This record gives sequence, C-alpha cells and structure tokens, in this order.
Amino acid sequence: MTRPLAPDVVRGLTEIVGAANVITDPDRLLVYESDGLSAYRVSPRAVVLPGTSDEVAAVVTLLHLEGIEIVPRGAGTGLSGGALPTPDGVVVGTARMNRIIEIDPENRLARVQPGVINARLTEATQPYGLFYAPDPSSQSTCTLGGNVAENSGGPHCLKYGVTSRYVTGLTVVLAGGRIVKLGGAGRDSAGGLDLVGLFVGSEGCFGIATEIEVRLLPIAEGVRTLLGIFETMEAAGHAVTEIMGSGLLPAAVEIIDRATIEAVEASIFAAGYPTDAGAALVVEFDGTEAGLDLGADRAEKCCFEAGAREVRRATSEAERAALWKGRKKAFGAMGRIAPDLLVQDATVPRTKLPEVLARIAEIGERYDLKIANVFHAGDGNLHPNILFDRKNAEELDRVERASTEIMHLCVDAGGTITGEHGVGIDKRGYMSLVHNETELEMLRSVRAVFDPDRLFNRGKVLPDPLAET
Amino acid sequence: MTATPESVVHPSSDAEVAEIMIDASREGVGIFPLSSGHRAHPVRGERPYLELSTTRLDGIVEYEPADLTLTARAGTSLATIDEALRAHGQWAPFDPPNVGERSIGGLAAVGDSGPLWMGYGELRNHVLGMTVVTGDGRMLSLGGRVVKNVAGYDLLKPMVGSRGSLAVVTSVCLRVYPEPSVDRVLLLRRDRLSDLVAAAHSVGTAPVMPVSSVLVDRTGVNESPALVIRLHGVEETVGADQASLEGHLGIVFEQAPSATALCTAVRDRGATSNVVLVASALPSALSEVIRALERLEPETIVADTYAARFRVGLSQADPEAVGNARASIERLGGTLRVARFPADGAEVGPTSEPSPAEKDLIIGIEKTFDPMGVLWPARSRR
Repeated sequence: MTRPLAPDVVRGLTEIVGAANVITDPDRLLVYESDGLSAYRVSPRAVVLPGTSDEVAAVVTLLHLEGIEIVPRGAGTGLSGGALPTPDGVVVGTARMNRIIEIDPENRLARVQPGVINARLTEATQPYGLFYAPDPSSQSTCTLGGNVAENSGGPHCLKYGVTSRYVTGLTVVLAGGRIVKLGGAGRDSAGGLDLVGLFVGSEGCFGIATEIEVRLLPIAEGVRTLLGIFETMEAAGHAVTEIMGSGLLPAAVEIIDRATIEAVEASIFAAGYPTDAGAALVVEFDGTEAGLDLGADRAEKCCFEAGAREVRRATSEAERAALWKGRKKAFGAMGRIAPDLLVQDATVPRTKLPEVLARIAEIGERYDLKIANVFHAGDGNLHPNILFDRKNAEELDRVERASTEIMHLCVDAGGTITGEHGVGIDKRGYMSLVHNETELEMLRSVRAVFDPDRLFNRGKVLPDPLAET
Repeated sequence: MTATPESVVHPSSDAEVAEIMIDASREGVGIFPLSSGHRAHPVRGERPYLELSTTRLDGIVEYEPADLTLTARAGTSLATIDEALRAHGQWAPFDPPNVGERSIGGLAAVGDSGPLWMGYGELRNHVLGMTVVTGDGRMLSLGGRVVKNVAGYDLLKPMVGSRGSLAVVTSVCLRVYPEPSVDRVLLLRRDRLSDLVAAAHSVGTAPVMPVSSVLVDRTGVNESPALVIRLHGVEETVGADQASLEGHLGIVFEQAPSATALCTAVRDRGATSNVVLVASALPSALSEVIRALERLEPETIVADTYAARFRVGLSQADPEAVGNARASIERLGGTLRVARFPADGAEVGPTSEPSPAEKDLIIGIEKTFDPMGVLWPARSRR
C-alpha cells in the first residue's frame, strides 16, 4: 500500500519545483502507475517534475535526507518496468527538461536535456545534414534520458550501433544531490575509466542524467529498402544468413512472422503484405547513392536463392514508408487481437535464429498461447510477443511460464536475456541465468559506488531485492 | 622512486591467474599485468611487485564467421586473429600503432582504437565480452558473445581502457566485420601541418564520412606533411565518395599507390618515441592544439582529425613545457596525457586528470574490483 508523503516533504518539493510540478492527487498519479510494461502497476507516493539540473539536485538532496526512494522516469515507454514506481518511492520525471541546448555542426555534436524526444533531435539536426543514429521503435515518444538509462537500440543499430556509441558526455545528479560531469567529447577517457559508458545502461540505478552530449552523423546520401516475402520463416532466416555472410553491411535487417503479418493486415495499419506468407523480411541499405543498387541487387539475389516468393524494392521515400509500415506498426496492430501484449526481448547468436524460432513456436503450442515474432534479424535480437488477457489469471500464469522457457532457451543458445529493453523489474528473476553470484555481487558493489544508500530505482535490475535492501 | 619487478609469472589458465591474485592479496605483493611485453610505464613505489604475463593465455577459443564474432584468450596476438579472420573475408577494424604485435587482452586493457574509429566506432564498441580476474582473484565473465546485450550494468565499458588497474583480462570476445572490397587511401600534401587544417575541417563536415582522416607531419623520409583519408566500400561507392569529398573541399587528392604501406607508416609513426604524449580536443580546436604541441618541438605529430586526438613523439620532455601545453589544451576543453614514459624514468610533467568528482568514482570502482590494492603498480602513474 502506498503511503502518502509527509506534508513537510510535499512542501519542500513544492518550494523547489513549484506546486504545479508536484503531483500527489491519486487520480493524476494513475498515469504514472506503470511504464510500457503494463502488466505491473504501482502507485507512487508522488511525482516531481523538475525543470533544471539544479532542481533535480535539490529534489534528490531532499529525498535523500528523508530516506525516500527515487524512481527516475523519462517518457515511460520502457518495456521492462524500469520506471515502475515503488510503493515507498517518489517518481522524478524529466519531461519538463526538454530543451535542445546546443547543436554544434562543426564538431558534429549536440547537447540536450534528458526530456528531449529522440525523433525531435534528428528533426532539429536535419537542416545541418546530420542525424542522431539510435532509433528505438518508440522514437517518436521516447526521450534521450530514457535512451541513456536503457542503452536503447533500434532497427538501424545493426549498422550504427546502440546508444552508448553516441553518448560522449553526461551531467548527472547522484545520491546526495551531487552534480557531476562525466567525460565530454574533447576529453580523452583513456586517461581514466569510461564512466560515461558505465552510466549508459544503468537503468536509473546510478542517478539521473540531466544533460547529455551526443555525437551526430551525416545523413546518408541515399537509401534502398527491400521487402522479401517468404513461404516459411526458415527460408527468410536462410536469406538473412546469406546476406550477412556475403560481406554486405545493411543498415537494417528485420523480420516479421506470419502471426504478425496477419495481425498487421487485419488492422488499420494494413501494409499490403500477403497474409498467406510465412515471413516478411525488410532489408535496408544506406550510404553513397552509387553503391546502393549494387547492395540491393545482391541482397535481392540472396532472397531469391533462399526461396523468396517475391522481392519488392522502394526507390522513393513514400515507397520506403510503405514497405516499413508492416514492421513499424506491428506492435500497434497486435492490440487489436488481444487486450495485452508481452513484448519479450532477448538476443541469440544470429546463426542460432532458425533453431530458436522453431523452439519458440513449439513453446507457444505447448502453452496454447499466440506468439508473434518481430525481430532485428541482423543482430539476432528477438522480440517474441505473447498475446494474452491479463484478466485471465490462468492464462497469465501460462504466459509467465512460457516466457521463462523462452529466456532459458535463448541463454542456452549462447544468447542473453535482454538485447535492448533492459532488465528493469521484468527480467530481474532471469539475471542469475547470465550472471553467477560473484558477478551479481560485483554489479551491486559498482552500483553502490554511485548510490551507496540504494536510493535510485531500488529493486530494479538486480535479482534479489532482499540482498539489495 | 621507480621500482623493479621481483620476477615475472606466466599463468596458463584463468584459475592460475586467480590463484596468483589470491596469493598476492594475502602476501601484500603488487601485481602488474603485462601482455605482449611492449614497454609499459615505469612503476612508482618501493613495495615489491610481480609482473603477470598473459603470453601463455594464448589461442582463439571460438570463431563463428556467420555470427561475425570471435573469442580469443588474452595473450593471442592481433596478427593471429587477423590471419584467422582474413581467411573468411573478415577483419577487426581497429588500427592502433603496431597492432599486429599486440595481444588482444593488452589492447582491450589499453582501449586504443586508432583512427579507424571514425568509420567503425571505438574499440570499446567492438568488445562484446571479456573474462577477467579481479585484484582479489574473483573470476568474472562480463558481457557475452552477442552484439546486443543490456543484461545488467555495462562493466565492460570501464574495463576497456582500464590499463590493468581493475583486473587481469583473460579473454576477449570481439565483434568483427566483413572486409571491404576496396580500401582507398587519398593524400593531400602541404608544406606545413597548419596549412592542412582547413582541409581537415572540411572533411569533418563533408556529407560523406571516410573511415579515417589523419593529419601527419611526415609520411616518410623527406616527405611533407599530409592529410591522409581512407575510404572503404566497393569500387563504385569509393569512387563516388572521393568525387564528393573533392567537390566539397574544392581540391583533387593524390591517390596513394599502396594503401597498406602508407596506412601502416602513419599508424605507427612516432609511437615508439622515447616519450609519447596523447592530446585530445574538439575538432574545432585543431589549429590551436597544433600550435600548443609544436611549442614542444616534437619529433612527430599524428592527429586523428575526427576527434582531434593527437599522438606526439618527443625525444625528451621538458616538464615545464609539457605543463604549459597541457594548460593551453585544457583551456580548449581538451586533455593531455602521457602514453609512453621515457625509458630512464625521467619526469615528463603534469598531465590532465579526471575531475575530483570523477576521481572519487574511479577510486570507488577500483576498490570494488581490487579491494586489497594488489594492482597498484598499474595505477602508480595515475
């Protein structure tokens, strides 16, 4: 049961951020009860929305003195429950800190506040011919602070790499309200330890990033997108192996399976994918215009050799959007079929994909669950999505057991329990599949260097909340 | 005071490394991890210590070309790894000085990427996993062998570049890449290094991004300073990229006849000078940093222009002059540190340090990995 905050604490918070930015009304707190992982819901004691680094520091100082846990929150689009409130905690949201501080085209850098929406940064840098590479599927709503906390990926990370490759410096607020600058693009981290790289992906357990410096890239001259339609998932998987083994370096290689195609085509997002197909493969190349058709031709050949029924190619932005539509709208379309969707996330070595997918299908049948697969095939990052109804307790139990089996399966195949969504609350129980007790203890100790009192996001990431508290 | 090692131990397994670390913790003996035996910095201190060589931790453990990943034990030379990769049309895209002679464990410990990071990302982005033994003998497996992995805090990042100050690296899993079919090297020569800065800036803001861009004071005997640009791809893209760069810069590049020979010469230039300094700044500060470094009258200057990272070779260092250079570069938001200390142990001068707050965190992390302080020789120059 969530306890209300003491009046003097509310007063203290109000003095720092203003009454409009301290939320204690239970109705208004409803919005903050969960993040993208809606299966879990906890009401926080309050939500505070600071507007500057100094305000974040003052809020953290106050809450630290009171011994109140802090749950950092970006846009709340995370899928592992990383921003799930705790009954004893206060949510500190970065939504108001949404300013792009500086775009520096000469050094190809941008400095932003954490509440800046991912896609907005690319929009803002476009006039300079630059873009920000990591593109999580939620990029139109997720924020860069959240991306830093989760070390987010996205379809084009196959070529460009994930968030940590692009973050060059951070200003962070740590326990006790200390404001600390880490790294910076002009500074050479080889002289010390890479603290920026360590902070990225710490899932809100080390502190709150209040200013983020990122590297930008020049926008590619051209793009070619292919859509391969296959009779079977196996054939599509074979095409991926051929493409990746041929020396080509595609920007993205994505697969959606039959269940997902059916869901998309039955929805308002219908993208014109044939509903009797076993799998659809999206392959994209970007770069210098002169080489694009060459890469696309070779990938097309790989698709046909693997047994593709047809291969469509986009040459205009409109055609490209149409080919991507089925992939991008997959999650939205699934909402039509079942009230709840568990978006799983795991990575396996790419060569293990066919075997792992066959086993996932078998797990789905055994538990009588509908599992639809959408995945970043190029880097072996799977998203088996389990469709269910949360109100059906018996079904929810099957979902959890199937999920656990899928995690074991991926780890046994040489993979890991999360590729890009993070551990949060959802995967805590699986951490011992990939880390032994010595390693978990090391993770706890490193966290304690940043946050000795375990004030930030207590109970997340590390498996045993008792050991943590 | 410079100390000398009592002896060198050569463990052949992770368990032996752990045993050595546990013994050292108990006996209060320091450990200085060494890999390929390249000259490390002199150790400051008076307490006894041992060198721990990883040369017997040798060999490729796993290589799955279709997954584009390779795992090797720490003492495996990059030459061995390169040979295995090339046999499958693949390679590891990093080019620090003398890369072939170095071991993968040592390289990961030093975290040196080389200028190819412009096109491929830094070494820390290519290290997917590591096994390490901490200062008190705990064996840890960090990361894994998949390209995307966010299961727990990313301890790999501080480990890459930690220079033996946290743990002994015993194996490394790398992400590897398909070999480019064309590796073209373009040259622009001028009489003075400073005359090339404008061109280097233009490359840095061009719509086409080369895989590396390096300013070098000399590419060979009697040769003038040059801007060396490297393009990777297929014939069509490399040709188009060259044309696009030439259009953007308003110049015509000279094409290097042998890409490999020139890149090797630039890559290794000045790396084994008696003293090597590394300066870092923003690309917009290239000119000012060059001016600050030229006052040191260096033997060699090589600059990766994408991030304005300079390697400066000196025959000897004047601590006061180095201090002045550092102060100038720090005013520009950059850093200056020593990458190679003089063989005679002479002082080089004050170099850039992490901020006090960063230092607190670094010390905390060091204590976590090395609670008994066994790895002090590796930290003795910090």
